[in-house]
Amino acid sequence: MRNLTLLCAAMILGSGTANAQDLLFPPGEDDRFSWQSYEEFAANNDLTGQSVAIAGPWTAEDEVTFRRVFEYFEAATGATVVFAGSDSFEQQIVIDTSSGSPPDIAVFPQPGLARQLAGQGLLTPLPEDTADWLRENYAAGESWVDLVTFEGPGGQSHVYGFPYKIDVKSLVFYSPENFAAMGYEIPHTMEELKALTQRIADDGGVAWCIGLGAGSATGWPATDWVEDLMLRVNAPEVYDQWVAHEIPFNDPRVVAAIEEFGWFVKTDAYVDGGAGGAGWIDHRDSPTGLFSIPPRCFMMHQASFIGSFFPPQTEFGRDVDFFYMPPYESHPELGRPVLGAGTTFAITRDTPVAQAFLQFLRTPLAHEIWMAQTGFLTPLTSANLDAYGDPTLRGMGEILVNADTFRFDASDLMPGAIGAAAFWTGMIDFVAGDTAEEAATMIEQTWTSLARTGGTEPVEGAEE
Amino acid sequence: MNQILLAAITIVIGVVGCLAYFWLSNMLLDRMFPPRGSNAAHNLRVSGRIRPWLFLAPAIFFLGVYLVYPVFGSLWLAVSRGGDFIGMDNFIWMVNDPKFRESLLNNLLWLIFVPTMATLIGLIAAQLTDSIKWGAIAKSLIFMPMAISFVGAAVIWKFIYEFRAEGLAQIGLLNAFVTSLGFEPRAWLTLPVWNTFFLMIIMVWMQAGFAMVLLSAALRGIPDETIEAAILDGASPWQVFWRVQVPQIWGTIAVVWTTITIMVLKIFDIVFAITNGQWGTQVLANMMYDWSFRAGDFNRGAAIAIVIMIAVLPIMIWNIRNASRERD
Repeated sequence: MRNLTLLCAAMILGSGTANAQDLLFPPGEDDRFSWQSYEEFAANNDLTGQSVAIAGPWTAEDEVTFRRVFEYFEAATGATVVFAGSDSFEQQIVIDTSSGSPPDIAVFPQPGLARQLAGQGLLTPLPEDTADWLRENYAAGESWVDLVTFEGPGGQSHVYGFPYKIDVKSLVFYSPENFAAMGYEIPHTMEELKALTQRIADDGGVAWCIGLGAGSATGWPATDWVEDLMLRVNAPEVYDQWVAHEIPFNDPRVVAAIEEFGWFVKTDAYVDGGAGGAGWIDHRDSPTGLFSIPPRCFMMHQASFIGSFFPPQTEFGRDVDFFYMPPYESHPELGRPVLGAGTTFAITRDTPVAQAFLQFLRTPLAHEIWMAQTGFLTPLTSANLDAYGDPTLRGMGEILVNADTFRFDASDLMPGAIGAAAFWTGMIDFVAGDTAEEAATMIEQTWTSLARTGGTEPVEGAEE
Repeated sequence: MNQILLAAITIVIGVVGCLAYFWLSNMLLDRMFPPRGSNAAHNLRVSGRIRPWLFLAPAIFFLGVYLVYPVFGSLWLAVSRGGDFIGMDNFIWMVNDPKFRESLLNNLLWLIFVPTMATLIGLIAAQLTDSIKWGAIAKSLIFMPMAISFVGAAVIWKFIYEFRAEGLAQIGLLNAFVTSLGFEPRAWLTLPVWNTFFLMIIMVWMQAGFAMVLLSAALRGIPDETIEAAILDGASPWQVFWRVQVPQIWGTIAVVWTTITIMVLKIFDIVFAITNGQWGTQVLANMMYDWSFRAGDFNRGAAIAIVIMIAVLPIMIWNIRNASRERD
């Protein structure tokens, strides 16, 4: 009888069902998932034989898990998805769009870059109802709408992006076993965290794994540290002014945050590999220190995506867990701020399949399938929290929707020349020996040089 | 699969298209000015004058579109912003930018170290391999890195310099060696100035083979009499090499040296793939890439590109002159 039902479903779904058996979770079987949204979507979209090219920054594990998600789109519509993931996506997409051979959909890891391309008319505005949909269905919807609303080439604002796959960055990963063995307790204030760091050093251990290496993006993990500390020593308004360059980068309040980071990273005894090693070690390799025996480090500050890079068979809750990067006891007025980031889907070539794919991303199922795997968080309130693959991921998802303050990763919002270049270099130089003042001043000089020549919207004239 | 098919079709169309162009245009010319009949002599003279241009036309067209036009396009980008002329602003910014000065200094280091070392090693290798029995094998081993792409070589050497925190098994050859001698492992590529040399060694490793092959051919071309005469006069092997052989191949040495110099001036891949210009290893070409495609500022990128072009130009002209003199 069930076979017959499946057969009927197969006939309704059309040619794409050749894949249906290979789908990660067979449609209709597991009630954690919103199958209804999937079936409705499948019924309304038949794109048999068409294809959509998606380019994004996802490689390795993320690419595999994303594939498991868009296979449902393929099965539902009969269309083919061609995904190309690249470590150098940010450079590649600039070249591809300005040379007139873009993919259909681009997955931007930095909304600043999407804003830039939207201003040049290289992105297609999303349907008018996107803003309302985000407000209604995403927690803290207004902040998401603001995040993806850009000025088009004519100066009019539209929603150009669709945030999907969010990272929470205010997390400190640790091994519960190692903490228990040494009698350490989860710190609830920054003062306690610093005391713990010192205590681990006194016990002959190393507190932190910090890896700043990231191929051609080396240095970015340091910006997360500084931003997270920035939200903990300064009001969110100061953070916004810093992002918008309304205060200089070497403002004493910013330098103070960098110095807080230095307290952790520039003390050889606190960091695996020493301060010199921290700059080189790849952030994707650094988690191994938490799991080695004996542990090479006890804690690691990183965003939620890092779960993709834990050793296989790592069990969340037992082998590794996380705690919220605590606020300062001396700054009670700042509450419990959360730093985050995320990828934004945008249409770089307007085709019916591309539009349909973005509609697909609105279905709870498109979120739940990834929630059930690893490295994915969503602010979509209609997605079933039970779909999260493990309680830890679910815990992060709850942090995401329950924060006092949520701010998007500053370096992603700054102009590319700062957030994706000078800030990284400045932090690498800071860790390698420069003072916070010197590093911040170097970044500030680059930023003012941009402003002087109007460099914040610099790409015009590129095609001439 | 699709891409392979596409590439195959492109190649077929390209080759057939080229043949068709030359064949058809040639035939058309002969039709218009037939080398027969009453006007044969005049027609022959006219078509003889047109024919070279006909054959050169595609090359001139593509060089114009892909080489000459971009040069002027870059020049304009370098002195403009958003389509408006802004004069030398980009260059003034450049001179004041500490990263640019760092890049310039590093390029200078590359310029001095790499061609010199590659040519010297190539020269010595050429001389030594010519006089031993298994020289052919040695030569092909030295030459082999030439076949590896820059990025491939960068990845290989990144593993050689790889660093793991102390106490872990060092997967990097250099650190494995250093720790086996009882020293602490270091993150080699983060140590300023030294790291630039670590990067330069990769380029030397790749280019020494190229130098060796050319110099070896030149060494063989030296008349034996000069060497015999020197030996009869009591010159030591050292003297024969430096005083008799090397002076006779100065021309080739110069060509090899300048060819590597030009390649070094444009050095990009190795730095991009290994350090991306961090820890004080920035070079001009990588900085140009950063500003053009990371910062999205094509004007500043173009300004840096102009600097590279100006630096390459005299050496290139000299190199071409030298090469054509060599041929005569």
